[in-house]
Amino acid sequence: MARDRATPGSQTSLREANRARILSAVQQRGSLTQVELAGVTGLSAATISNIVKELTVAGVLATAPTSRSGRRAQEVSLARNLGLVAGVHFAERSLRVAVADVSLRVVAEQRLPLPYEHRADEGLDRVGMLLDEMVDSLGAAPDEVLAVGVGLAAPVDTATGTVSADGVLHGWEGVAVGAQLGARLGVPVRVDNDANLGGLAELRLGAARGARDAVYVRVAQGVGIGVLVGGRVVHGRVGAAGEIGHLPVVDDGEPCRCGNRGCLETVVGSAALTARVAGTHGPLLLRDLVARAHDDDVVRAVVEDAGRVLGRALSGACLLLDPEVVVVGGDLARAGEVLLGPLRTALHARALRTSAGPVPVVAAQLGEQAEVRGGVVAALEAARVTVGLGPEVGA
Amino acid sequence: MSTGTVAGAEKGTARRAPLVALRGVTHSFGAVRALVDVDLDVHAREVVAVVGDNGAGKSTLAAVVAGALVPDAGEVVVDGDEVALTSPAEARRLGIAMAFQDLALCDDLDIVENIFLGQELRRGGVLDEVAMESEAERLLASLAARVPSVRAPVAALSGGQRQAVAIARSLLGDPRVLVLDEPTAALGVTQTAEVLNIVERVRDQGHGVLLVSHSMTDVQAVADRIVVLRRGRLNGVFDASRTGYEDIIAAITGVGPGLRRGGERS
Repeated sequence: MARDRATPGSQTSLREANRARILSAVQQRGSLTQVELAGVTGLSAATISNIVKELTVAGVLATAPTSRSGRRAQEVSLARNLGLVAGVHFAERSLRVAVADVSLRVVAEQRLPLPYEHRADEGLDRVGMLLDEMVDSLGAAPDEVLAVGVGLAAPVDTATGTVSADGVLHGWEGVAVGAQLGARLGVPVRVDNDANLGGLAELRLGAARGARDAVYVRVAQGVGIGVLVGGRVVHGRVGAAGEIGHLPVVDDGEPCRCGNRGCLETVVGSAALTARVAGTHGPLLLRDLVARAHDDDVVRAVVEDAGRVLGRALSGACLLLDPEVVVVGGDLARAGEVLLGPLRTALHARALRTSAGPVPVVAAQLGEQAEVRGGVVAALEAARVTVGLGPEVGA
Repeated sequence: MSTGTVAGAEKGTARRAPLVALRGVTHSFGAVRALVDVDLDVHAREVVAVVGDNGAGKSTLAAVVAGALVPDAGEVVVDGDEVALTSPAEARRLGIAMAFQDLALCDDLDIVENIFLGQELRRGGVLDEVAMESEAERLLASLAARVPSVRAPVAALSGGQRQAVAIARSLLGDPRVLVLDEPTAALGVTQTAEVLNIVERVRDQGHGVLLVSHSMTDVQAVADRIVVLRRGRLNGVFDASRTGYEDIIAAITGVGPGLRRGGERS
């Protein structure tokens, strides 16, 4: 949120502040109607209408007729030609890059499989090349990219853009991801944990849309949650909030890559799940498990067990946060109800019975794109969109 | 998505026996010993990558599996039976297909014509263009390959798209094992990404893939097992999902013991 300028109270500064408020609301949500803008900013409908008109003429905003609850409405978004934003997701074994316009419409997407223990320098180099080629294939110039949001499968100190925990993502410790990529691309780069970004995307664009408090759990190679309170991601001190994968669930259990023993990840992480079927099925990958979850009884039982363990672990998070919805994403979530059913049952069995009823547990709407779309959302928030008439907004 | 699923590869038990196995294969070019006593297994739903320095014997090994080269000694076992792979056509008949390093596509023909070149579908003596077109579309869709149109001339395609067409052509007739020789050589990062995604898809459809490449990053990204050749000899077999870069480089260059952390001999 932009702060009021030096001469508070004057008509000009008030108007500038209102402009910035509207712009930042549009920037955060991609697109929304004028009525919704009024709700979000607390400004009157007339003020909104005036400022939107002004900013549309200035080429910053664009409006399009739409309908809400059967009534005609004006949908407001940033003008397409303002530029592009990019989202990047480094998962454990793949890289995903998405390029979107400033209304958050994805215009190009690419996925690249990555090696086990991939390295930061090579990965960031490839992001740079991929982005250049993708932007070029769109017929756009490299300087049209306004900002980049990067998700990493590890806790990230968002202030410095570095991985803040040891042993979680080999080859990425101590790498100034934000600074390195920012220097390579010459744009603001926001780095965050991938579960946080997945949660952000589901909150803004997906299954948790409209909620203020939600929990997004990403179950893939590892497990992490994005904690969303009051419509914002909760990071904690150095971005380690929601690292539920390292919650101890087995006393004296298997050693975990984090250095402790019996972490949730040692029970439901992909290595643990594939190890359980290795005897009967030979070496399988996580996506092989997902593909067989419906037809193969052994695999099905393993995935159901994982759902129950996850449900138990998430019950603690739900007691702490009382979320409006629990969204389940990540590769394993593609097993659908085989995972979600037992997870929901186990979670509800341990939940406090409140007047709101059991918390809904739903699959991520954005699927495997949730994290990279979250990167796009974060990038848009970090982008410096100049109004041309007033102050800069955003970080 | 699994439109081209290989029969029998679906159930968990099908994993046990390799589709293709080499036993003690040795081959020399004159005085140069290209392969020395090499064992290799390729299972269904598995990408086996062969890596090594220049001249380590990678392409020779691929040629033996694809039937382009008859080894001086050793056995080639398909489905448990010893066979003589005397020609690529014989290998194809046994379900082993190869997409070649130089792609061998005809620039002035379109995608459909290239895919069916030499194996055109006919109905009543004339070419069945409709059937070929729809089969070409099905194959490319199953690979999620992004091509403008199946009637586009191959000359107009990017390197990655050409590779996709070459792979689609080798998948015609639903082979069980696909041999890819340097599929990402000379490709940009976007096109490399597309080819690697295709390799994953081919594997997920239940095919076995033998991938020869000198690009360690690409190999590690998609392989299930990595076979290291050094001067024609097997110098380690690694589980790609738990072996780091350094261990494989060590095996390629011959530093330290061949079988290290996570290594398992097939």
